[in-house]
Amino acid sequence: MKQILHIFKYKLLIFIRLNTKIDFQSLLKNIGSSIIYISFAVGAFWFAQKFINFLLVEIKIGRFLLHEFISIVLFIFFLSVNVGNIIVSYSTLYKSAEAGFLFTKPVKPSNVFAIKFLDNFFYSSSTLLLMLISLLAGYASYFKLSASSFLYLLLFNFFPFIFSAGSLGVIVLLVIIKLAEKFGVKRIIYGVAAIYLATVFFFFKINSPKNLVQSVMNLYPLIDKDKYLAEFISPLIKLLPNNWLSETAFWISQNNMANTVLPTIMQITLSLALFLLAFQLGKQWYFDTWLKNIKFSAANSDNRKTSTNLFSFQSILLNEKKQILQPQTDSLIKKDFHLFIREPAQIIHFLVLFFLILIFVSSVSGIKYVGLGNFYLQTGIYLAVFLFNLLLVSTLSLRFIFPLISLEGLTFWKIRSAPVENKNLVKLKLITFGGVIFLIGIILNYFANHRFVFIVEIMSLVVISFAVVTIIAINFGMGGLFVNFKEKNAIRLSSSQGASIAFLFNIIYMLFIVVLLFDPMSNYFLAIMIRKNFHLFRLLYPVIPIAIVSTLLIIIFIRAGMNSFKKDFL
Amino acid sequence: MLILKDLVKNFGSFTAVNKINLEIRSGELYGFLGPNGAGKTTTIKMITGLLSPTSGKIFLDGIDVWQKPVESKFKIGYIPDQPFLYDKLTGREFLLFSGGLYNLSSIHLKNRIDELIELLRIGSWIDKRTEEYSQGMRQRITIASAFLHDPELIVVDEPMIGLDPQSAFIVKKFFVDKVKNGTTIFMSTHSLNVVEEICTQVGIINKGTIIFDDKLETLSRLKHDRNNNLEELFIQLTNEDETDTSHI
Repeated sequence: MKQILHIFKYKLLIFIRLNTKIDFQSLLKNIGSSIIYISFAVGAFWFAQKFINFLLVEIKIGRFLLHEFISIVLFIFFLSVNVGNIIVSYSTLYKSAEAGFLFTKPVKPSNVFAIKFLDNFFYSSSTLLLMLISLLAGYASYFKLSASSFLYLLLFNFFPFIFSAGSLGVIVLLVIIKLAEKFGVKRIIYGVAAIYLATVFFFFKINSPKNLVQSVMNLYPLIDKDKYLAEFISPLIKLLPNNWLSETAFWISQNNMANTVLPTIMQITLSLALFLLAFQLGKQWYFDTWLKNIKFSAANSDNRKTSTNLFSFQSILLNEKKQILQPQTDSLIKKDFHLFIREPAQIIHFLVLFFLILIFVSSVSGIKYVGLGNFYLQTGIYLAVFLFNLLLVSTLSLRFIFPLISLEGLTFWKIRSAPVENKNLVKLKLITFGGVIFLIGIILNYFANHRFVFIVEIMSLVVISFAVVTIIAINFGMGGLFVNFKEKNAIRLSSSQGASIAFLFNIIYMLFIVVLLFDPMSNYFLAIMIRKNFHLFRLLYPVIPIAIVSTLLIIIFIRAGMNSFKKDFL
Repeated sequence: MLILKDLVKNFGSFTAVNKINLEIRSGELYGFLGPNGAGKTTTIKMITGLLSPTSGKIFLDGIDVWQKPVESKFKIGYIPDQPFLYDKLTGREFLLFSGGLYNLSSIHLKNRIDELIELLRIGSWIDKRTEEYSQGMRQRITIASAFLHDPELIVVDEPMIGLDPQSAFIVKKFFVDKVKNGTTIFMSTHSLNVVEEICTQVGIINKGTIIFDDKLETLSRLKHDRNNNLEELFIQLTNEDETDTSHI
């Protein structure tokens, strides 16, 4: 313990020194960041209140359905934190130079594990946490919960819930590496991926939101929608921590603290059990799996073919007939392509996001807006789908566009000292990476809007095009402003302070679009419902302010990104 | 060939390079000496476009390097002190990438790479990913990448770091041969032996100011006059006050 505390003392010293640089620029940056953080926290708080009010008062879904929806969102959140922590833990536990350094010193492997395990919390996204706490505060404020009830929900339910997801991530990672020797790395990874996919599939199979709504609505008004209808929840779902958390929240909102005791105890017990299990496994397996990982990397390196035929430098660059682009353009594109496909974290994350996109496409393409009986509900669903589409684009941009400049890394000396125009470099990066995200945005938009009339499709296409390009530009520019050539890990870059601020900008911009679309879309749905005449061209009105603001943002942020190329490369 | 005129670089209140003036003629192997933190790397980074000068000019063949960066960079090959490479690319891929940046045609590039592999003897590991390379291997790949486009000027920062005696010998011979063929080399180094062995002209920078700039023979004469070896002379020069060294 003494050793762990000793190491932590110095880690804390490094952390403090990293974050207390006092000069005018960093002061300005920090003040700006604080203002954005505070406004965002207030915005999330306000949004939670209004949204709950909208669902309970306008749409009248009842407290039970509200908390079941929260439970579904929490399930997705649990999996995201869990999978995210597997990737981050691999980087902190097995790829960090610090672990290698500590193993050369007389430090027990279990202590190294403890230090690196807790390191993960430094890399967890503070923005995400801030957003969740603000949403939770908005929820507490709407139901007029006391401060003690809010803290009870946060400290004894919400934090253990996140902690369980994180600990489970470390356990899965240790098991993957432990079993990889016996069954092969690829086989184990495919197996784990299949288990996760099956979990998501069966969760929605057992707990279909559509069936749940139908079951409750079929009995309405014979039952009280504000009652806890436990009989509608599958016994399997009742065993999940997301359900315990939503159940606790439900009873707290009803001021029935007695009924929160059991799910809270279960939440804390699970969290402690998973934490202790992760620690115990780490104690027994960490050093062994650390060595195994080195062995796998070496074996992988020996077995690796020196080049692949597809997109290979040799097969294309050295064959004049196949070389369509200028050698410089060709080189830059291929370099980025190779670095991307050879970095497992990039590929895994891309596949996870791609999987989310597929789920989203399959879900939204079947939504029927007509016959819902409430034009506010129709508008709400339409805009929620639109917002989710933008949120996916924003996540992709944050993950793959924000780190673009930083990922040039210390090797950037080669490009900076070569005769490469900054403009061309920016253009290439945005066309290749941004192009893929743009295409995804358009496809998502198509599936969300293909059932509407032509003018709605056109309006959404124009808006989404501006929005995607703007979000890409914001992330590119912010990535340039907060460039960090010393950080090689794209995940850490995407959860840095700069990335958090970029994400907040994205959210503000997305809300700006949704607010502008609300009026014309609700009028459109109202007109369909009451069969009134509606000038479809009114749908195009919000396009003008969106186009103006987006163009301005694109110019500002692309310039900010380009300026980072001119900065001194120390 | 290369002219540095009143070149200054400030980092906040600290002056790393203070109004230096240098002229390096074509076909010279210029040894740029100085203690740690003297301003060698800062000067080199200003020549290669990585740091912008606070004031002053850099001319390469009459072209202002900071006015026409792209044009001038075609004429320069840069070998940094820390050979950072893309870990996930092989040495050959890195060379192909580097050559592409200078718009070299495929056939020409292939021939150049084969030639440099032979000259620098890097063929046995060229197709392994650079993450597996030692410091010396990285250094040799970096050297090869700088010579791909046959530049008129090579700017080298500490070329011998991490090289074993065999590799150091190969690199030194390679530099000397290139200079014989008309290439100009501007080389910063700590190694006084290397300077004595291969340089034709020497500059010494201390605390951001040039305190010596002349032929190697002049330095040798000075060494002889003061009855010192080069190491002692270097320590003496860099420890003396600027007023004391003005007579040199």
